[in-house]
Amino acid sequence: MGMTDPALAARFRTLVLPHLDAAYNYARRLTRDPIEAQDLAQESFLRAWRYFASFHGEAAKPWLFGIVRHSFISLREKRGAATMEAADGDEDLAELYGLSAATPSPERALIEADTRRLLEEALDALALPLREILLLREVEELSYKEIATILDVALGTVMSRLARAREALAAELRRRMKEN
Amino acid sequence: MATPEMDCATAESLVDAYLDGELPAAEARAFERALESCPPARRRLADARALRAGFQALAYHRAPASLLASVEKLLPPPPTRRAAPRFDRSWMRMAATILIAVGVGWLGGRYLPLSLSGDETGEVVAGYLRATMAERPVEVASSDHHTVKPWFSGKIDYSPPVYDLTTDGFPLLGGRIDLIDGRKIAVLVYRRNRHTLALFTWPDATRSTPAMDHRDGFAIVRWAQDGFAFRAVSDLAPDELKQFVTALSGHLEAER
Repeated sequence: MGMTDPALAARFRTLVLPHLDAAYNYARRLTRDPIEAQDLAQESFLRAWRYFASFHGEAAKPWLFGIVRHSFISLREKRGAATMEAADGDEDLAELYGLSAATPSPERALIEADTRRLLEEALDALALPLREILLLREVEELSYKEIATILDVALGTVMSRLARAREALAAELRRRMKEN
Repeated sequence: MATPEMDCATAESLVDAYLDGELPAAEARAFERALESCPPARRRLADARALRAGFQALAYHRAPASLLASVEKLLPPPPTRRAAPRFDRSWMRMAATILIAVGVGWLGGRYLPLSLSGDETGEVVAGYLRATMAERPVEVASSDHHTVKPWFSGKIDYSPPVYDLTTDGFPLLGGRIDLIDGRKIAVLVYRRNRHTLALFTWPDATRSTPAMDHRDGFAIVRWAQDGFAFRAVSDLAPDELKQFVTALSGHLEAER
């Protein structure tokens, strides 16, 4: 009944469909592959439409991103790849990357040199939980609260994981700049 | 000083939260004061800002047309514009308009009944969505008003005011034409970070102060000044949309 309701579809078009680009970009950065990204986005919108009747008034974007994320995890699991959870809780990640305070700030070199590609590569090299939280905050500019909703974690976890992700990214950038 | 000071270590630990806009106003002010005497925090802030700029410069992958097409296939087709139900419900809508107008009093002058009828706001939001969902959000892409303004001539029967608001944080992307209530309307499209803002404008001799309205998660500000009516629509936070209106309004005043 609800599935064919034109009013529901109109609502979906107004609330959810405008986030298609954002969802695709997010899928693209999660999967790092255009074809897989399209599959993931399509699967996510299929689910979003299926569950849309039970969506009530909260912000549509975090809701949709939560679905993209869950779809991503289940697609990965189907393929037997490492899941989010397996990579999560890696407390020693920053140490693993070897933070060194002596080298000049890689962040500031980023805008001066033509090193955007370096940022892409560094981002792609991060463990999934760190990559996704950076995408949600820096690319999608979602609030801590919205990110907590999407990741289904506490606000404090968002803050600590985000700090960890930024450190890891800076370390990764530093490492790559040295190599170049 | 009488105000409580924030020590350097605390300031350093709050750099991210500050930049992420997650600090309460009072704390943010204390943080800014502490910055003056805390070079390490200043350095961290510069680093974080640079990293953010890097992210802003990162390619944003737009959904391919085939994806939009396959998602569209999931949904039942939209009803043709202004189909039968409009007739059936018109008396209810009118009754509701009168009831609400009587209930709240004569608040918004001529705009109140117009917005409550739902038509204009709905059409403006739909126009905004057409701009954001189109392959190209603008038909003439330029931040130069000397390019955008003449583009409208010959396409519509008036010449809208065009301002690039880059220095106010709202770079002009360009212009397009949309139909509102069956009339061709000039639309200017602005960008704010990843957000798009559409400004609808047409001649209107009245003057009214900005009033905000919300529809389906979008904010709409309507006002009229200097011979034109304006409708600014966006998915931005209401405060940011207000900033835009203030900036544009200022430019219009200055030009007078």
